[in-house]
Amino acid sequence: MNSENKANQTENPFLPEPARIVRTCHLTEDVKFFQVRIADMEKALSFRYRIGQFAMISVLGAGEAPFSISSTPSRPGLLEFCIRKTGLVTDALFGLKENDMIGIRGPYGNGFPVEQMKGKDILIIMGGLGAAPLRSVLLYCLDNRDQFGRVILLHGAKRPAEMLLIEEFLSLKEREDLECLLSVDQDDTGKWTENIGVVTTLFPKIKNINPSTTYSMVCGPPVMYKFVLNELLKFNIPKDQILMTLERRMKCGIGKCGHCAIGYLYTCLDGPVFTYWDVIHMRELI
Amino acid sequence: MNNGKLKIGIYELTGCAGDALLILDCEKELLDIFKAVDIQSFLMASSDNRDGKLDIALVEGSVSTEREIEELKDIRERAEIVIAIGLCATVGGIQARFTDPNEWKKKYKEVYGDIEMTHTKPVQSKPIDAYIKVDYYLPGCPIGKEQFLDLFTRAVKGTLPERYPRPVCVTCKYNENDCLLNKGIPCLGPLTADGCGSICPNHNVPCFGCWGPVEGANLTSEYYLLKEKGFDIESIKKRMANYSGTKLIDFLKQFKKESK
Amino acid sequence: MKIVKLKEANLHSFLEEISKEADLWAPVKAAPDRYKFEFIQDLNKIDTDCTRTILPPRKILLPPSINMFQASEKEYKEDFSHVSKKIIFGIHPCDIHGILIMDDFFSHEFYDPYYMESRKNTLLLGHSCWPDENCLCKSTRTHIIKEGYDLFFSKLKERYIVWIGSSKGDDLIRTKANLFEEDISDKDIKEYAEWCDQREKAFQTEINFDALGDLMELMYNDPLWEELGNACLACGSCSNVCPTCNCYNVADRPALEKKYSDIKRCWDACTLESYSEVAGGENFRKKRADRLKLFYTHKFQAYISKYGKPACVGCGRCVATCPVDINVKTVGKSLDGEKVDAFWKRLSKEVTK
Repeated sequence: MNSENKANQTENPFLPEPARIVRTCHLTEDVKFFQVRIADMEKALSFRYRIGQFAMISVLGAGEAPFSISSTPSRPGLLEFCIRKTGLVTDALFGLKENDMIGIRGPYGNGFPVEQMKGKDILIIMGGLGAAPLRSVLLYCLDNRDQFGRVILLHGAKRPAEMLLIEEFLSLKEREDLECLLSVDQDDTGKWTENIGVVTTLFPKIKNINPSTTYSMVCGPPVMYKFVLNELLKFNIPKDQILMTLERRMKCGIGKCGHCAIGYLYTCLDGPVFTYWDVIHMRELI
Repeated sequence: MNNGKLKIGIYELTGCAGDALLILDCEKELLDIFKAVDIQSFLMASSDNRDGKLDIALVEGSVSTEREIEELKDIRERAEIVIAIGLCATVGGIQARFTDPNEWKKKYKEVYGDIEMTHTKPVQSKPIDAYIKVDYYLPGCPIGKEQFLDLFTRAVKGTLPERYPRPVCVTCKYNENDCLLNKGIPCLGPLTADGCGSICPNHNVPCFGCWGPVEGANLTSEYYLLKEKGFDIESIKKRMANYSGTKLIDFLKQFKKESK
Repeated sequence: MKIVKLKEANLHSFLEEISKEADLWAPVKAAPDRYKFEFIQDLNKIDTDCTRTILPPRKILLPPSINMFQASEKEYKEDFSHVSKKIIFGIHPCDIHGILIMDDFFSHEFYDPYYMESRKNTLLLGHSCWPDENCLCKSTRTHIIKEGYDLFFSKLKERYIVWIGSSKGDDLIRTKANLFEEDISDKDIKEYAEWCDQREKAFQTEINFDALGDLMELMYNDPLWEELGNACLACGSCSNVCPTCNCYNVADRPALEKKYSDIKRCWDACTLESYSEVAGGENFRKKRADRLKLFYTHKFQAYISKYGKPACVGCGRCVATCPVDINVKTVGKSLDGEKVDAFWKRLSKEVTK
């Protein structure tokens, strides 16, 4: 064979690792939180991942799908996922209880460029389920607080009941080393004390952004991107310092099944984190 | 008699009962099926049928009488999941091909004259989703064993199979047939739901669409392709209308304008 | 390179000998109008006059449907039942190039054992061929093959020149060494040179593949794509017959009684409607034009960016297959600015009438 086989030939990369659901609870009506531990303790501790990577989760008989990892690599051993009930695999996942077994393989994808982000200001903008991958970034920055400049979080949801991990985020407001701005489109509880309006209405509250030293991360529903990107460009943040993480159909996670292809890139290998420049360059991304 | 097993009902409306027959024809798996679930109602297989709450209802046949409308609505109310099985339930079948209500009334009169139906009032035949919400469609005329067992097993396990509409051409190519359209034979493979194993093209017989139209079929292109190959508009229309039930009404109407 | 000679009359004795140790696959005339690669039990069925088979030989390495795992709650048992020792005889240069592209693809970054194990157990015995009007391999520079095969049979009058491309190929020759002659005569060389010369001239279609990557970029928003999208029947045939299409889908097939499931891997095609649909129903490529753009980006542009060569090997299968004339020839020529006569062109005139 004339191809260079640099890849590992001994392990079957499609073989899932058995993992146990340690804790699960509803975050919103259709989003559940899953805390998972790989059954083999050694493998659980050696599961090294970067922020922004994803894992393939499988439920026997139902199938396999990609999910962003919501926990931070700075707290090894347990993996956390925020999962919305949208399809066959998630339907099956929602039917599982604590102590039930699932399959996990990964981590996959490029993740966020942590090395480049070190020493820089971090501006995180999340909407809805976009909190799933970006929570990983936020927790990582807070765990390694001295390695980053300002850390600013903008989090938007439709209603208070739809804000993922609302208690976790409200408690973060007390931290002095984090600028945490929360917003809901409408308050149907009458008890919301934070901002009301779409997530972009939070932008005027951020003062003194230094664009050249700022890395911004965006994840949310498709409608959000256009408006948020517009605001970030107004701040003059360079296009390759605006990062977003994308969703595509995936059946393998390792660049073989073809479904996540965008031009010559594969979302699973070359993404899911792309810069705004990639988006302009590749056209089909968003 | 429940033992935590899922309660299943299999119902036949207007049709040939071929789909129910196919279920019975799964001889190798039949014992497993009856062991795995609690069959509450299955007219073809049992005389002891109950009308209680159901986890899954499989419905065959189209709706063609007022009594069937009531029956269907009742099934929907009792069942968590309703699955349409077979051509008649999914698209309406051959009996739904007279798509224009006036045309239907005319044909009805031609056949039955002025006879008053006392048992129940006939209505124009329609697929079951004309009256109720359907959770999953299993096409076929009749349904395929493999697809049925796949669907049934997954439904019993609580996860329906992934929706993956594809035309007959996919299997036809796996079977390494030379495309009949390229030889000027009016094959409906590109418009028709896959699952039959492309049996007709395998024998050089063009697909006539008996599994019903596939989602996303490019009707316009196929129509002009056949027209270019020399087929007259009426024959193309007939071909497309035969098994498409009520699903291609709008497209066929557009055709009609053109033929005038 | 080691080169030997074989009398045509001795071919079957050789194939019979080597098929004792492995499954022999070769092109067979399945019907008057078509050839396909088949598992050979009767050597007389082999037809070396074949120009192209309906499906490319990748179906031998990775069939349309395989089982990846027999999975239970306790363990995922790997299923490699599609892997066996195989010899593919009668494979043409373009298809060998196709397999080499698949080799790169399935071993790049992550090693795909389902393809690679099958491939490692397969020997490629190439055969020379003569182009028809649909062959584009001269334009893709895949009409000749220098490496990657185990043996290559160049047909001359009543004899073959056999090029030995690998150590394993040499082992095959040794199983029946007495059938082969070592010395190549001046007459052989002259006849081979003439054959090559005539074959070069026999290609009827030429496309400038070098420019297609850039043209794809420049014409990304060209109305051409809408025209193609309007005609495409979304039947997936272009992908299914392409030697370098590798997309697949995965589905669990649970058993009724036990907590057990087969995990199936089936060919998929990017031109099919649901290809890019994600859970919840959003479809990133609902439009046929967008799906065709992806297909042609991969054939004309993407592999060049990643592996330095186009993923099209010019086999002409899409040209022979697509009922609405959407193929590498018409799309390539249109991108190059040439006028083409194709159904999709005529349709666009018809619908804008």
